[in-house]
Amino acid sequence: MRDPILTVEDLRVEFATYGGTVKAVRGVSFELQRGETLAIVGESGCGKSVTVQALMGLIPIPPGKITGGAALLNGKNILNLPAREANKFRGVEVGMIFQDPMSSLNPTMTIGDQIAETLKVHRGESHRDAFNQAIRLLEKTHIPDAKKRARQYPFEFSGGMLQRAMIAQSLACNPSVLIADEPTTALDVTIQAQILELMRELQRTENMSIILITHDLAVVAKMADRVAVMYAGQIVESGTVDDIFYRSSHPYTLGLKVAMPSNTHDRDKTLTPIMGSPPDLFNPPVGCGYYARCPHAMKVCAERLPHNMEVATGHTSRCWLQHVEAPRVLELNQPSHNHAG
Amino acid sequence: MSTYQPVAGDFEPLTTQQQVEVISRPSLSYWQDAWLRLQQNTRAIISLGIIVMLAIFTLIGPLAWTADPALQDLNQVSQAPSWPKTALLVAPYKSWAGITLANYESPDSYPTTVPAVTGFKVLDNPTTQRVRLIWDPVPGADGYNVYRNNREPLDFNDLGLPLGSTYGDQISYEDRLSLEAREYYYSVVPTDGLDEYEIYTQAIVTPTLALTPDEALERGLISDIDLPGQGQEIVIEFHPFGTDYLGRDMLARLMQGARVSLFIGIVAPFLYVLAGIAYGGIAGYFGGRLDAILMRFSDFVVALPFLLFMILFKIAFGIGPGESGILPMLIALVLLGWPATARLVRGQVLQIREEGYIEAARLLGARDHYLILRHIIPNTMGVILVTLTFSVPSAIFTEAFLSFIGMGVAPPTPSWGSMCNEGVKTMLSHPHELIFPALFISITVLAFNLLGDGLTEALDSKMRSRE
Amino acid sequence: MLVRTDNLKKHFTIGRGQTLHAVDGISLAIDEKEILGLVGESGSGKSTFGKTLVGLHNRTSGEVFYKGKPLPAKFSTKDHLTFSREMQMIFQDPYSSLNPRMTVLDIVGEGLRIQGNLSSSDIKEKVALWLDRVGLNTDHMSRYPHEFSGGQRQRIGIARAMIIEPRFVVCDEPISALDVSVQAQVINLLDELKASMGLTMLFIAHDLSMVRYVSDRMAVMYLGALTEVGLSNDVFFEPLHPYTQFLVESNPEPDPETERNREHKPIVGEITSPVNVQPGCRFADRCPKVMEHCRTTTPELIATSETRQVACFLFN
Repeated sequence: MRDPILTVEDLRVEFATYGGTVKAVRGVSFELQRGETLAIVGESGCGKSVTVQALMGLIPIPPGKITGGAALLNGKNILNLPAREANKFRGVEVGMIFQDPMSSLNPTMTIGDQIAETLKVHRGESHRDAFNQAIRLLEKTHIPDAKKRARQYPFEFSGGMLQRAMIAQSLACNPSVLIADEPTTALDVTIQAQILELMRELQRTENMSIILITHDLAVVAKMADRVAVMYAGQIVESGTVDDIFYRSSHPYTLGLKVAMPSNTHDRDKTLTPIMGSPPDLFNPPVGCGYYARCPHAMKVCAERLPHNMEVATGHTSRCWLQHVEAPRVLELNQPSHNHAG
Repeated sequence: MSTYQPVAGDFEPLTTQQQVEVISRPSLSYWQDAWLRLQQNTRAIISLGIIVMLAIFTLIGPLAWTADPALQDLNQVSQAPSWPKTALLVAPYKSWAGITLANYESPDSYPTTVPAVTGFKVLDNPTTQRVRLIWDPVPGADGYNVYRNNREPLDFNDLGLPLGSTYGDQISYEDRLSLEAREYYYSVVPTDGLDEYEIYTQAIVTPTLALTPDEALERGLISDIDLPGQGQEIVIEFHPFGTDYLGRDMLARLMQGARVSLFIGIVAPFLYVLAGIAYGGIAGYFGGRLDAILMRFSDFVVALPFLLFMILFKIAFGIGPGESGILPMLIALVLLGWPATARLVRGQVLQIREEGYIEAARLLGARDHYLILRHIIPNTMGVILVTLTFSVPSAIFTEAFLSFIGMGVAPPTPSWGSMCNEGVKTMLSHPHELIFPALFISITVLAFNLLGDGLTEALDSKMRSRE
Repeated sequence: MLVRTDNLKKHFTIGRGQTLHAVDGISLAIDEKEILGLVGESGSGKSTFGKTLVGLHNRTSGEVFYKGKPLPAKFSTKDHLTFSREMQMIFQDPYSSLNPRMTVLDIVGEGLRIQGNLSSSDIKEKVALWLDRVGLNTDHMSRYPHEFSGGQRQRIGIARAMIIEPRFVVCDEPISALDVSVQAQVINLLDELKASMGLTMLFIAHDLSMVRYVSDRMAVMYLGALTEVGLSNDVFFEPLHPYTQFLVESNPEPDPETERNREHKPIVGEITSPVNVQPGCRFADRCPKVMEHCRTTTPELIATSETRQVACFLFN
């Protein structure tokens, strides 16, 4: 049942730099379903962080500029809001956690005070009430000895615990959406496993929808219900996690899969890298952004931007290979030909 | 949803693929990129322009404006900036007999009061060579006293300088006493031959500047060949920025002062930044004990009181007459100025020392001095350049300050600071003597500071993340 | 055996008389032409181990043998020069491992220049050769590091190390800072170079899947000591040491089915500090199979088979 809590349509973001204008996000559309985890996966420079920062109003407006698109949270527009309006939903209806907890938390305030601050600002709670709630939130994220920990400063916490504290802070006002921007990239794999488990648990208990930004396909496989693959400022494929992994419909998705070592099937198959580098976003290609690196690129790919083609219900791919008349490519999920083959 | 109808050949594989490993944008070294960034900063570019103009002013100026900064033009002392003034060419002085009344008879008795003198005026064109005053005889008076004041007399007792007395038959007076081309208030008072009547008449006279041909020749205002006739106006020394209290051309002094101030202001920082780099580089690179010792010594130098040191230096060097005092100041500035740079460079070196490329170079067998010179110092260049740019205004200001309080360069060598010192004395009457040097100091310091700001911004942006 | 360490220790004194036991008694052997993977989390000391091996850190105690001969405890510049032809290193951060003020030609040719045997035109030729070999455009010799992407920079670093043709290369997290599609480029390059040059490698990383893929044998480090050593596939698919088991269990797979069917037993607690280590097994306070004995005596690495060693009292 489609029940989107957040709808983003044709989002476009640009940055003015001294070298020109960078078109960081070039028409991104997606839906976050209630109670689900949507993973936005892509490599560095694809625009995934910029997308969610634009939603949260965290892009500095000069030099940044939202040049198009709409974002509706529960039917209300959240793009380009004036600061006062943005403050009302940011942190309250949508919580956010970042990659590096050390630089996202104030080193001169205790953890408890920082979490309490959210409650005092948004809910008008008294300091004592807010602080007690902060302790409870820390307990919810399984920080041992929460009462003592609440009075400590960030430097006394390890990386994993800080991330828990940041999660606790983001939960303070019971947001319905949590945006996690590479929350475990800087953490060890054992701690990452803990944090991801925690996020799943909290999703169930707090009834949240999560947008998870990551570059790690393994994290996506573990956490996501739906996935959007981003490349060069656009979403190139979007579908359920099984769609993306088992019915990959875009050469980039395929490329990512074979570039990683797998420990399950095909385990000693050689890695196939994707040659080259992402395109220059000062002058993005008029056609498909991936065409220069795509081993199956066709003439039309360089000339025309492929629109979002439906592969199956809820599964789309921005690729001309999905056109019925396109040639067959091994391992790529394509629609069967219309005419008798 | 676009209604796209595929054309034949659209799905053919792309044969000419973009060469993926080519970098299309032109190569920019660190400095080129920094220069591009700097150009975008308007204030910094304006400052750079000002500094270039200053350089031209200092180096080429004296070649273009050849006035002697030490020459005292006594005709134009403390003169405000103006267009070129003219002087009248007159014949050498010939004495004047004056106007005497013929058939004059002293009155028999002297009345108690007499009317005021009438017709008190100049005979002809008053010049700085002589002012000839005449008046109508006053019946009953048997003599006249002439006074001169530089300002309007308040009353009878304030008539000013008594120039002279005349007898009853002399109704003229020639004034040749230190005449300047300025406003004078002459007063004539009738007397009975001995005592004055308490009544006076005033005449306001502004003599024209006059020069004899000999004087003009001597001052190089006219040439031998082209002797202009008498009564002609010649242009006297032009002082576009005015003159100081001794009649010295301000512009020439400013240029010479620029040389002194900028010499100290640029050479001193250059030297002490160089010393700081060497010192800080060694301390930072070797670390440990050596670093600790070197930094303690540097702290000691920082603790020395600057002014005291300057004074001691001045005494020790014993500046004699004719010596300018530039060298002691330079040495003192260098001796006391290096710790700041040393500490900065040391900090940078400590940071860079940990970078990967240093380890990589070490692993390739690089020696210490190679690492310092080839790897570490070039990467501190940004910081060094900024330090240098900020040290210059600091040194200029310090020199100005010291010269201002008399602890800097010795007169007659001008420096902007000492010119300010002299200007302060006539601040209220002739403000231009203070304003110009002060303005130059301010603009120079401001320009360097803004340039330093711009450079910091341009050089500081991390070049790394270009992805 | 090309490289062998014997109870190698590297301690750092940090303020207030505390000692950081970064490398605390590692005895490891690397055979010629093999790739040994060294895996561990942050704080395990694996990078320090790699650097101590090549002489970038002065070792505190223990021995390192290269081709049977002991290496000095403290490397002088001359030592570095001598051994540069034998041992080289590829660094982790592509952004700070290249001097931003030097051109690619200067960077890659630096080793040859320091050795001083070749003329500059010869060096230029060799640099061009190697740039081509690592898959970069030779025209870009005169460009600066900031103009290249992370993957390209890493390849420049590889060219710099390989141009002097060493025998043994320590790869210190060479792909951690790179994107997934680019990681494969660098791994394939290293593989190819290893094969064509007959290199021996120590591959240090924290990505378990990548280490298993790349290396022949794998060693696991925890808080400065080895917990397990063995053939990569053995250690990965049949981990013996409880810590290794946790590592493998926490390692996510890019396969939704596998992840769904996995049992989730998250590890508890955080890694303890390598400062002032107490006697006893370092993993004791997090180990689900901990015994009394573990807290008092430090386990040694013992061989459980011809190819496997474990440091755990469960295997005595």
